[in-house]
Amino acid sequence: MKQGKVLIVDDEKEFAAALAERLRIRSYDALAVFDAEEAIQAVLRDAPAVMVLDVRMPGISGVDVLRAVKQIAPRTVVIILSGHGSVDSFRKDLGNAFFDFALKPVDIDDLRQKIDKALQAYEAA
Amino acid sequence: MTEQNPKAEIEKGVGVVRTLLTHPEEALALLGTDRYKALKIRLFFLIGALAGAPLLILVILGFFWLRATIDENFNNYLRWQMENTKQSVEIFLREKTSGLKFLVSAYSYDQLSNQRTLQEIFAKRKREFSDLVDLGVIDSKGIQRAYAGPYDLLGKDYSSHDWYQKVLVRGVYVSDVFLGYRQIPHFVVAVKQELSDPRGFWIIRATIDIETLTRLVSSASLREGDDAFVINDDGILQTPSRSYGRLLERIRLDMIPERRGFNLVKRQVANAPVTFGYVAIRDSPWILIAEFKSTSYAAMMDLLRRHMAALYLVGGLILIGIVMNYRTTRMVVNWIHKADREREEAISQTEHSAKLASIGRLAAGVAHEINNPLAIINEKAGLMKDILEFSEEAASCKEKFLPLILAISGSVERCRTITHRLLGFARRMDVKIEEINVNDAVQEVIGFLEREILYRNIHLQLNLAEGLPRIESDRGQLQQVFLNIINNAIDAVGEGGIITVTTRVIILPDGRNQLRVIIRDNGQGIPKEVLKHIFEPFYTTKEKGKGTGLGLSLSYGIIQRLGGTIEVESVTGKGTAFTIALPVRIEEGEKPA
Repeated sequence: MKQGKVLIVDDEKEFAAALAERLRIRSYDALAVFDAEEAIQAVLRDAPAVMVLDVRMPGISGVDVLRAVKQIAPRTVVIILSGHGSVDSFRKDLGNAFFDFALKPVDIDDLRQKIDKALQAYEAA
Repeated sequence: MTEQNPKAEIEKGVGVVRTLLTHPEEALALLGTDRYKALKIRLFFLIGALAGAPLLILVILGFFWLRATIDENFNNYLRWQMENTKQSVEIFLREKTSGLKFLVSAYSYDQLSNQRTLQEIFAKRKREFSDLVDLGVIDSKGIQRAYAGPYDLLGKDYSSHDWYQKVLVRGVYVSDVFLGYRQIPHFVVAVKQELSDPRGFWIIRATIDIETLTRLVSSASLREGDDAFVINDDGILQTPSRSYGRLLERIRLDMIPERRGFNLVKRQVANAPVTFGYVAIRDSPWILIAEFKSTSYAAMMDLLRRHMAALYLVGGLILIGIVMNYRTTRMVVNWIHKADREREEAISQTEHSAKLASIGRLAAGVAHEINNPLAIINEKAGLMKDILEFSEEAASCKEKFLPLILAISGSVERCRTITHRLLGFARRMDVKIEEINVNDAVQEVIGFLEREILYRNIHLQLNLAEGLPRIESDRGQLQQVFLNIINNAIDAVGEGGIITVTTRVIILPDGRNQLRVIIRDNGQGIPKEVLKHIFEPFYTTKEKGKGTGLGLSLSYGIIQRLGGTIEVESVTGKGTAFTIALPVRIEEGEKPA
């Protein structure tokens, strides 16, 4: 098992669960949660090293979640997941609050590399 | 099959005719001509009426004026002609009477009543005046005392004759024409001379042939068919007439001429207008009558014939007017037509942009909705693959399932490409504005494609304007557009084709500069139906799997965001040209968000 927890936040349960399982198969300590509240709770409880966050969710949006996480767990490295083909629009709101981004549907190897880099960044911080 | 009702058909026909009379342009529209042609016809007639009405009034007034003038001239001419004839007849008569007067004053009664003397005088006179028939001297009792002439009339008693009675009263007398003893028409001129002795008076009498009179009278007729003759107070013809009776017959004309003044009478004779003129001849019982068949209309025609050049001039002017009118009308209507067409084009351009924008939004929306389930499929298939690869218990199925899973992943990858490009439509992209040199950007793109161009043996011509101003734009996105369009051109021309890339600066009517990049190929060209849809997403004519149909629609979106325009012109069989117009300097407010 690799070092550091990976938290996956996405309202698409099937997606989040499958992605978490695939990461676990690849020996990541991955956990999937499906809304903003659960995400905050998980961050408070587990203090994950990396969070993979869908920016568009019903209720409290990914942007709000990111802001909250930056306050309660500033060390957590965030990778934004977007179904919009681009994260340009979020860059304006979020600035450098996130570490990297990936576009849905995501290639698992691509994501893995990003998570690895994020873990390194977490360790270095 | 429907039976045509003949009555309804007739009513329809009548309707068309009525429309034709009241609104010609509508009827023409019914007949299938387009509304510009109808407008042309209406305008032509309107201008024609406006310009022609005063002209027509002028012509009508001119015609009446001319006719009045010609009538007056003609009448004056007739009057002059008749006056001349009348005068020559009067001179002729005066010559006769004064001749006799001379005789009675120069010779005494005794001399002249001498037969020999009279014959001498007659012989002398006869040489001078060939129409003198005879000469006689009559005493106060009416007995012919001396006679010189062809007949044996010496001693004849004239006391009961009409002319004798009249000469007693008047002193000088000109008689009607009558047939003499030899049935030759002649008239008598007689002069009375008073004597101081108991014999009282004597009379000298001359008989005159009417030949000269006839000749003088006939000179009044102007042209062939005209008639001129003399009648006496009782309406008996004194000289022969062509159409109103023979000599000494009663005139066959129901007109009672007056002896007063000069008269012109217009009449219809045998359905033709005829002018009669008559005037009394002084010191005689005669009235000169002339019939003129020619009329003032004929005179007018004569006048027109004499001024043919003027007529041609007027006709030519009218013709020029009509041609000018036609040309003006055509020009004005063509202007209107052009303005209409331009407006329609502008409207359709706007509609086109709006359509493309909404299609783009729709496509992006759909892509987003599909993206989430696509992500799920991707993860589930990936998970299945992971299970097959990482757990031993599934190894038996591995060979069977792995290709299937890879096929699913492959398809997801294809869908992903499409959805991501579609999402580009709605993406509020960050445009990276910098000062760039468009020529450099083009050269770089050509660099990407060089190998393919070489490989396909395509001739690439670069007409890049020197000293092109640097513009503010997004280099990367512009290059994507150039790449798309040049790629399309390469596909269009095939082996050995020609592609031209031109850059130049155009100064717009409002003074702003515009940079144009024109990419032209000599390929197949694009049919009109395809050209309409060319910027719409998913519209592709390439083989399945070769193109997504998104390249041009994305290019369109990019150029719009950069404040420019992209246009395409194509002639089937000749080639296609894409023109990308970019502002040299992005104006405030036009800056993309």
